[in-house]
Amino acid sequence: MNSLRNDLIISVPGLLLLGFGFLIPVTGILVLGLRDAEGGWTAVHLLRFLTDPFYLGIAWRTVKLSLVITAICIVTGVPLAYIMARGSPRLRLWLIICITLPLMTSVVVRTFGWMVILGRGGVIPDLMNKIGLVNRNYTLMHTETAIVAGMVQVLFPFMVLSILGVVLRIDQRLEEAARVMGCSFLEALRLVILPLAIPGIIAGSLLVFTLSASYFITPSLLGGARLPVLAGSIYESATRTMEWHFAAAQSIILLLGVLVLLIPYARLSRRSHG
Amino acid sequence: MKAIFGAAAFMLAASGAWAQQTTLVVNSWGGPYEKLHKQLVFEPFEKANNVKIKVVTLYSADTLAQLRAQKSAPQYDVVHFSGGQEVIAAREGLLAPVKPDELSNAKDLYPFAKDGMARGEGPVHLVTAIGLLYNEKKVPKAPIAWKDLWDNAYGDHLILTDLSNSFGLLGFLMMNQVWGGTLDNAKPGLEKVGALLNRSVVINSSPEVQQNFAQNDAWLAPYAQDYAHAIRQSGQPVKFVMGKEGAPAVYFTANLVANRPNQALAKKLIDFELSPEVQAAFAREMRYSPTNSKAQLPPDIASEVVYGDAVNSLVRFDPAALDKVRNGLIEDWKKLIAK
Repeated sequence: MNSLRNDLIISVPGLLLLGFGFLIPVTGILVLGLRDAEGGWTAVHLLRFLTDPFYLGIAWRTVKLSLVITAICIVTGVPLAYIMARGSPRLRLWLIICITLPLMTSVVVRTFGWMVILGRGGVIPDLMNKIGLVNRNYTLMHTETAIVAGMVQVLFPFMVLSILGVVLRIDQRLEEAARVMGCSFLEALRLVILPLAIPGIIAGSLLVFTLSASYFITPSLLGGARLPVLAGSIYESATRTMEWHFAAAQSIILLLGVLVLLIPYARLSRRSHG
Repeated sequence: MKAIFGAAAFMLAASGAWAQQTTLVVNSWGGPYEKLHKQLVFEPFEKANNVKIKVVTLYSADTLAQLRAQKSAPQYDVVHFSGGQEVIAAREGLLAPVKPDELSNAKDLYPFAKDGMARGEGPVHLVTAIGLLYNEKKVPKAPIAWKDLWDNAYGDHLILTDLSNSFGLLGFLMMNQVWGGTLDNAKPGLEKVGALLNRSVVINSSPEVQQNFAQNDAWLAPYAQDYAHAIRQSGQPVKFVMGKEGAPAVYFTANLVANRPNQALAKKLIDFELSPEVQAAFAREMRYSPTNSKAQLPPDIASEVVYGDAVNSLVRFDPAALDKVRNGLIEDWKKLIAK
């Protein structure tokens, strides 16, 4: 009994913060999406979104880009995390610094960097022009490629660090045993390391997917007005056209959409643990 | 002794005067504009009239929201609007009407600047017109009309502004109008502007206009005259020209708030904002057009703003009607431009 009371006492500040700072405002916003101007319950805002191909297109772009970003983070993050885990502690430290250092810079500043690199006459279009692939005025700005590049850079550390934590705990002797039993290096990676690293990959994917589905600064700066994503659309409804009900309804859809996609995925993680 | 009494009496009198010094509360819009507003209007007025002016930084829409909230106990004496909010505020009885004969400068205002006074709105003290910004070193020929945007000579070097930006909205309404559309029928504009999309960069905010002229080889953009000046100041060879079909404009109004004491002084402040000297100084510093016909601009400044007889070509879309169609229009626009 005492320990329960002690637990409660310790957790009160956190619970209060969670309640007042998160639960109450978020519930308020979600309820707003189901209210009409007079305060009655209505699904009209949700239906406006769900029956309009334009908004469904925005939702699809959001999901599609988030999936691509997550996939790229996995493919590039797993090998890096493996090298970090198996390298010397000194190398690991330096790599961790390299990966987390960009987190110290504001996302907006990093995005402006991408604008310089991807814009007309920027490093990449210039190089492509010199190779003869594109004409002089070619720009990667305001393309989905630009959004993906900018977002992968922002979210990559989350993936690597999630996987690193898991790979570090894998017993190195398992790998050695696999090699002794006749596995090549790559086979050992595929048959031993990868399955054991799944929980880290799943945790990282959940983080990266949810963050990229709800980001709006990077997509709006790199994608521009013509490639709207859901978070950007919510922002516009809330601040530009002042349609708070509709903005809240879009938030409900974003939240439910992410949950529907992620819950089965998170289940996978539990199964691979057990 | 006498000297001390004298000094004490003087101090008492001075502190009495201090206590009685009236305060006017006004809003301004922050940034370089507010700085200039203080320097050209508020500070000289304080000195000349022994009054304290409290400036609150508040955009037009927020100012209207506050006026509504404070209806029973208003806190502002003079409010400035740029988004047509005065039409709504006057209709809701939040403003006190000012008669033209109460302002010494009213007789010199262009008719459009005092039209609203009959409806209980404040006079227009400054205007920024939306026309065509172009890079004079790059364009094959200088544009003269809104329809020039559809001239293929400008290739894919156009900038269009998203309608969630008020300059973008007004520019679009003008394009819609030159192709036969109205506030209630934006179809001609949407169709015509839709045809420009493959030749344009669509931007959201003012700094992007400058960025596109500087880095992305933009040649031509519908935007505001004061911003053309800002870009030119940054070193780009960008000029402003009014489209010959007319210039939609943003109207800055100075309005008297209802149910406040010191209305005589507040009217004097509004009158001061209408004076030719103040308006000429705003044109010189930031390229806003004067609404006082007596405001004299040197030729180099006059050529960069809508000035003189040209003010008769200013186009104003009814703010109340626009307010009704705005969100629907923005949604149609978003659907049009989304890839």
